[in-house]
Amino acid sequence: MDIVNQSRLWSRIKPAKPTRQQQEARIGLLFIAPWLIGFVLLKALPILAAFGLSLTDFKMLTPEATQFIGLENYVRLLRDPVAGANLFESIRYFLLTIPLQLVVALVLAAVFTSERLKNKHFSQTLIFMTSIIPATSVFFIFLGSLQYAERLILTPLNLPPIQGFDLFLPFMTLWSIGPGFLIMYSAMVSVPKEIYEAARVDGAGPFTRFVLITLPMISPAIFFTLVINLTGAFGGAVLLDRGYILNFSLSPMESYINETMFRETELGYASALAWVTFTVMMTLTILLFWSAKRWVYFPEEDDVNEI
Amino acid sequence: MRFNRKTAPGPDASRLSLRLWDFTGTALFNLFVLLFLVAYLSPLPFMVISSLTPHDQFLDSNAPILPSKRVKFNYEGKDLIVYQVPTAEGIKHWALYKPSRQSSLFIDPENPEAGPILWEGAWRTLRANYTFAPTLDNFKDFFAVANIPLYFKNTIIVALISEIAVLASSIAVAYGLSRFRIPGLKYIFFLLIATIMIPSNITLVPTYYLYSGHMLNWIGTWLPLIAPHFFGSAVLIFLLRQNFKSIPRDLDEAAMLDGAGPLRILISVILPQSIPVVVTVALLHFFYIWNETRLSSLYLGIAPHKQLISFAVQRNQTYFFTPEILMVGALVVMIVPVIVLFLSQRFFMQDMIVTQIEK
Repeated sequence: MDIVNQSRLWSRIKPAKPTRQQQEARIGLLFIAPWLIGFVLLKALPILAAFGLSLTDFKMLTPEATQFIGLENYVRLLRDPVAGANLFESIRYFLLTIPLQLVVALVLAAVFTSERLKNKHFSQTLIFMTSIIPATSVFFIFLGSLQYAERLILTPLNLPPIQGFDLFLPFMTLWSIGPGFLIMYSAMVSVPKEIYEAARVDGAGPFTRFVLITLPMISPAIFFTLVINLTGAFGGAVLLDRGYILNFSLSPMESYINETMFRETELGYASALAWVTFTVMMTLTILLFWSAKRWVYFPEEDDVNEI
Repeated sequence: MRFNRKTAPGPDASRLSLRLWDFTGTALFNLFVLLFLVAYLSPLPFMVISSLTPHDQFLDSNAPILPSKRVKFNYEGKDLIVYQVPTAEGIKHWALYKPSRQSSLFIDPENPEAGPILWEGAWRTLRANYTFAPTLDNFKDFFAVANIPLYFKNTIIVALISEIAVLASSIAVAYGLSRFRIPGLKYIFFLLIATIMIPSNITLVPTYYLYSGHMLNWIGTWLPLIAPHFFGSAVLIFLLRQNFKSIPRDLDEAAMLDGAGPLRILISVILPQSIPVVVTVALLHFFYIWNETRLSSLYLGIAPHKQLISFAVQRNQTYFFTPEILMVGALVVMIVPVIVLFLSQRFFMQDMIVTQIEK
């Protein structure tokens, strides 16, 4: 014991030559330095600055007249019926779109694992293709094809015309399943065949095998897809960013923040709005990660943080 | 859903019917997927049709769906439009000579010498005759207003510079995260994942202030679009790291024994084995820059000659706002990513490891 304590003391007085482990850590830190610096400069500091701004009445045109107003912006937010409505609209939007995206992508991925399917690769690319079409194009393609749908299907069948954006939402949602679909497909393909064989010998039918083997085995992929979709629903983008349409956003909260920012130029209030969205988003994320321990299968025990 | 090919090993007589059944099943299955694909992609043909359709066809509700032009008949040096005129002897294809509200004069194109024929009725209710005739005029009109080659050049320059920056930094960071024992690595990695999910709104105001005239004065330049990529991109780092981690360490150790340093190992051991994921990541970044509109509208709104293609096309579309020009714009913006995707389908998102179980 004494020797250990002594040597610790000694090393405090006279720094020893770095051990191999320390050296490894130093080189490693050097490699990840770009991201760490970027994180501090472009994420951490701006987020903190946004919180600071949310406590002021900062306006872009008159920055010198800024005053500290405490929590007034947050009080205003609580009383703002538009903000509340938009936040609920955002939440309703992802409660609607996330399950839809997930289920369609999952079913498609399962269909694509079948050996019966011809031209698999080409069809996959076709399904993925819709996810890289820029928002600009998607929006107008949808508007344009609505006219044709009306003339070709609705008018001949005497159906009422489609109410504009009601259909746009599920349409846009389905056109962005590409990444989730590919991720779940490659996860399904890599499930070891022996497990299915063993289950078949035990008399499990195709449906049972899918629910009891495929779903648990690909749960990390499902989890990752959920993360992508959740971020997408809040106006972010994980794998593919199709940009956005001027003056129009799929996420109501996002467009409200942009409006406050650019039309009203009330950056203090806009920051407060953004901070509330950020908190809701982070809470949902933490809940999702916390729940992951219960339903996501991790092959190695201590790899929970590795997705 | 997996189909069991080995069910019911019946007697020889039923083998043929079994094979027939199998064949029908396969055919039905493929038909189902084909129908899904057709429904899924159905808006795309309409985009092409619309972009080739002349403008006045949209104004006529009786016009056909496919791009067409009105049938004209030249009479006494004037182009007359041919209509379907209901007469006592059935529907005649006559050219409208002198329109008026109650009754109009028509010319029979098959017998123009007979002179004008009087027809009682409102000519506006008549259907015009159309022939199939796609036109490229919409593209000409749009390209005359929007300087597409310039926007294309801008996008390629920004994409190339930021591509090199983001690849170099992301690869380095992913290598650092996957191969070195760093104290607190677990937390750094968790922070990385958290950054992926941070909504862009929260950082928008402070970063805008940073780039604005108050501090860096970068508005109207490409710098706000390029500079952040020198610090790597969290998603790309995540994807690269998952794949680097799956490469066995034996080779690095062998290289290390031969005296190779960490950078040498990255370049000559790790990267050659990660070509698909590096291509994927590079393409993801290219698609991002190509579709980029958020930052362009913020920082390049005042500099029309520096705009990137997605944003510029969107702005130019709004000058016309007619169905055919909107579709021309849509087609122009989407065609490049689609071609790139099809050219790279062998590599893109293939053999990529996102989660642990994939091998």
